[in-house]
Amino acid sequence: MIERFEVDGIPALFTRTDGPTHAGLAFRVGFADEPLSRHGITHLIEHLALFPLGVADYHYNGATGDEITYFHTRGSEADVVAFLNGVCRTLQDLPLHRLAIEKEILRTEERGRGLSAGDLLAVNRHGARDFGIGGYGELGLPGITPDGLRRWLDWFFTRGNAALWVAGPAMPPGLRLGLPDGVRRQVPRASSALPARPAYITGPAGMLAWNAGVRRHAASSIFAAVLQRAMFRSLRQESGISYTVQTDYATRGDGSAIVAATADALPEKSGAVLGGFVDVLASLRYAGADPAEVTTVIAQECDRLAEASRHGALLPDQIHDLLTGAPVLDLPELIAAARAVTPAQVQTIAAEAWADGLIMAPQGVRVQWAGFTRAPYRSTHVVTGAEHPAVGGAEVRLIVGQQGVSLAGGEDDYLTVMFDQCAAMLAFPDGGRRLVGYDGISVAVEPTVLENAGQAVPYIDSRIHPDLRVDMPARDPDEIPQPPSPDDDDDACCDDDCCDNDCCGGDCCTSDDCAGECCETCCDDDCCPNDCRDGDCCADDGCPGKCCTGLRGRLRRLRSR
Amino acid sequence: MPPTDVVLDLAAAYPEIGVLRAALARRDWFACRQAIDAVPLDSRTAMIRVGADEPDLEGFLRDVVHRDRSDGAAVAMLGSHLITIGWGIRTAARASDVSEEQFKQFHEWLGRAEEVLIEGAARHPRDPAVWSVRLTSALGLSLGVAEARRRYDRVAAVDPHHLPAQRTLVEQLYPKWGGSWEEVHAFARDAMRAAPAGGAHGALVAEAHVEHLTSEVKVYRDRSAAGAYLRTPGIRDELYEAARRSIGDPSFRRTYYWLQAASTFAFVFWLMEDRAATAWPLRLLGDLATRYPWNQVHKDISATVREARAWALEGTA
Repeated sequence: MIERFEVDGIPALFTRTDGPTHAGLAFRVGFADEPLSRHGITHLIEHLALFPLGVADYHYNGATGDEITYFHTRGSEADVVAFLNGVCRTLQDLPLHRLAIEKEILRTEERGRGLSAGDLLAVNRHGARDFGIGGYGELGLPGITPDGLRRWLDWFFTRGNAALWVAGPAMPPGLRLGLPDGVRRQVPRASSALPARPAYITGPAGMLAWNAGVRRHAASSIFAAVLQRAMFRSLRQESGISYTVQTDYATRGDGSAIVAATADALPEKSGAVLGGFVDVLASLRYAGADPAEVTTVIAQECDRLAEASRHGALLPDQIHDLLTGAPVLDLPELIAAARAVTPAQVQTIAAEAWADGLIMAPQGVRVQWAGFTRAPYRSTHVVTGAEHPAVGGAEVRLIVGQQGVSLAGGEDDYLTVMFDQCAAMLAFPDGGRRLVGYDGISVAVEPTVLENAGQAVPYIDSRIHPDLRVDMPARDPDEIPQPPSPDDDDDACCDDDCCDNDCCGGDCCTSDDCAGECCETCCDDDCCPNDCRDGDCCADDGCPGKCCTGLRGRLRRLRSR
Repeated sequence: MPPTDVVLDLAAAYPEIGVLRAALARRDWFACRQAIDAVPLDSRTAMIRVGADEPDLEGFLRDVVHRDRSDGAAVAMLGSHLITIGWGIRTAARASDVSEEQFKQFHEWLGRAEEVLIEGAARHPRDPAVWSVRLTSALGLSLGVAEARRRYDRVAAVDPHHLPAQRTLVEQLYPKWGGSWEEVHAFARDAMRAAPAGGAHGALVAEAHVEHLTSEVKVYRDRSAAGAYLRTPGIRDELYEAARRSIGDPSFRRTYYWLQAASTFAFVFWLMEDRAATAWPLRLLGDLATRYPWNQVHKDISATVREARAWALEGTA
C-alpha cells in the first residue's frame, strides 16, 4: 500500500517494507526533452550530481530515461538521507571542474554500450526529436557549456518537477531536499517519422526486433505477456528457430504505451524467424489468444504485482505516473484492472499493435510481402541552388539552396535537410559538416571532395542557429574523404551477369555458383544494414555481395577512398 | 495394341476435377465444397490448387471468403488463384528474360495472396491446404529455405505425408531457389521411405532425378546420355526402390497423384531402356499421360508417348 507525503514541497510516495530502505528522487526530464544538438545534457547532469558521493559504502546509482531521470539508493536510513540530501545539494552547485572529464566518461560509456535494436526503432519511428533522441549517440556533449547546463538545471531540476519514493520500515527523518522553485514540465508529444505503418527497417542478420504504439491499458500489458508466450511456443518450442524471445511493455506520459518484441535466430534461419513472428501476430489479431492463456497471464501478472508491491518495486512506475500526470494506481486498483482484461480486449490490442508496427527485419530477409512498408530512408524533395559536383566524376552533387541543402544522386535519389528542420549540425575542424534533419535524414558536406565547396560551408554555417551547432573534435584523417586518384578502380561492386534465377529488386544471388554477386538493377541499399550511409559492399554472411549503389553507397565509396 | 489416343486432361484421370470445374464455372461454391470435402486431405489440396487455375475467380472467391471467414478451402483457393495470376504475369521464363515491371507486379500479386493466406493460416492453423499454398507463395517471393521448411512443418504437423506440400518443398530445395541437390534427394528419399507403401510418394524421387538430370543434360538432344545418367548405380537403385514402394506395390490405387507417378516412372524407365519396367506404368496409364516430364524430350508429347508405348508394349524400337 502506498502512503503519500510531502517532503520540502516535493510529493513523496512511501511503501512500508522489511529490510533496508530503498529510495529514489526522480525528475520529469529525460532524453525526449533534449534537442539533438545538446543530446546528453541530462545524462551529464546525472553524472555530475553523483560525482561528489564518490565511493560510498552503500549502493546508489542514477538513470536517465526518455521522460524521467532519477537517483536512487539502498541502505540504512542514515545512508539514504545522506545520499538524497547530497544529491540535492550537488544539483545546486555542480562540480563544473569535472565537465570535460565526465563528458569523456560518457563517451566511453556510450562506446561500450553501442546502439541497440530499440535505439534504431526509436530513431526510425520518431526521427531526430523527442522520443527519437534517446536512440542517438550523445552527440551534443561537445557543445554543452556551463551556462547551458545551468539553464537546463533551472528549467527541469526543481522542486515542482521532482518526486520522491521510499520503500522501507519508515519514512527516514532528516531529509533536507532543498531545491529551487519551479513548475512541473509537460511530457513532450511523440513525433512520427513514419508516414505509413506497418513499416520496416533492416537490421543485422539473425536478429528481429519490433515495436508498436498502443493505448495505455491493462489489456496492452497483458497482450505483451501473451505475445511473449506465443513467440516462445511458436519460434522456440515448435519450430526451433529462435533461442531468446522477449517482449516489453512501457508506458508513456501521453497516455500511450509501447509494446516491443525481440527474437534472435541463426543467420540462416532469419527468414523463418520473420515468417514465424508475422504468423504469431496474425494469430493473436485474427484468431485471438486462447482464453485459458489470457487467464494464465492475468494470474501471473497479479502475482507479479503483489510480489513487487511487497518489496516496494511498484514505486518507480508509480513515480513515473505521478510525474507525467497519469493517475497513480495502488496495488488493489492495478490487480482489479488486470483481472478485468478480457480475451477480446487483448485481440483488439493485437490489431492496434499490428497496424502501428515498426519491424527491424534481419538483414537479407524480405518483409514487404507481409504488408510492411519501408520506412523513409531518403527525401522526397530536393532544394534548388548552387550545385557542387563531387570531384572525380562520382554521380553525386551537393546542392546548397536558400532553404536547405541536398545531396543528389540520380532521379528521386535525394537526401535533403531544410534549415528550418535541422536538428543539429556537426562541425568538424577540417571543414566537414553533417546536418541532421528532424526526420532523421542527414546530409554530409565534405569540402575535400566537392567542387567549390569552400564557399558553401560559410554560407551553410550562417544559416544554422548557434544552438544547433556542435563543434566536434578533429576527425581521424582516415575519416576525411579524399578525392580519387586517377588509377582508382571505379567499377561498381556487382553486376547481374551471373544472376540467372529470380534476381530482382532486392534479391541476393545466393546460389553456389554465384556467391558474392548481385543484380545491378536490385542493388540499392534495400538489404544492406540500416547504417548503410556508411555503405559500400555489404559482405555480411546474410547478404553476400550485396552493396549499396544508391546515393548512400556512392557516398561511402567516396569516403572510403 | 497399345492405345493410340494420348489423353492429357487431368479430369480424365480424376473425375472429381471435372465436377469441381463445372461447379466453379457456374459459381456454385456449395457444390465446390461438396466435391472438395469428399476426398482425402492430399487430394483436397490438389483439387483446391487445380480449381484455382480456372480463370477470373478472384471476385467470386473473395465474396465467398468475405461471407464465411471460417471456410479454409475458399481461403486456400483464393490465395492460390492470386498466385496463379502473378505467375501468369511473371511467366515461366528465366529471370533474366523477365522485366522489372513484370517482377514488380508478380510480387504485388504474391503479396495480395499472402495477405489472404496470413489471415487464413491464423484462422485455420491446421488446414494443410492453406499451408501448402503458402509454400508456393514463399517460393515465388524468394523467402528462402528456412521459411519454407517452417511452413512445411505446419503441414506435416497435421498430415506427415502430405504429398502436395512435399512436391512444393522439393522444388524449393532446388539449387535455383536456394537449396542444393543433396537436400533435394535426401528429402525425396526420406519422404518416400516414411510414407506408407502404395502411395504415390515414390514420384518425389523420380521427379527429383528428372529435374537434376535436365539441369545437366539436354534430354531432347542426347537421350542416351540421359539414360546413362539414370542408370548410374546409386540413382538406378533409388529409382527402382521408389517404384517398388509406390506404383509396384500391391496396394497402389488410383488415388491422388497416381497419374503423375505412373507417368514419371514410365518416362525414366523408358530413358533407362528397361522395357519391362516401362511397360508396367504404361499399362496402368492406358490412354492417359501427363505433359511433364515427356515435354523434356519434344514439344509433341503425344508422339513421344506413342513412341514409348510402341517400344515398351509392342517391342518395336
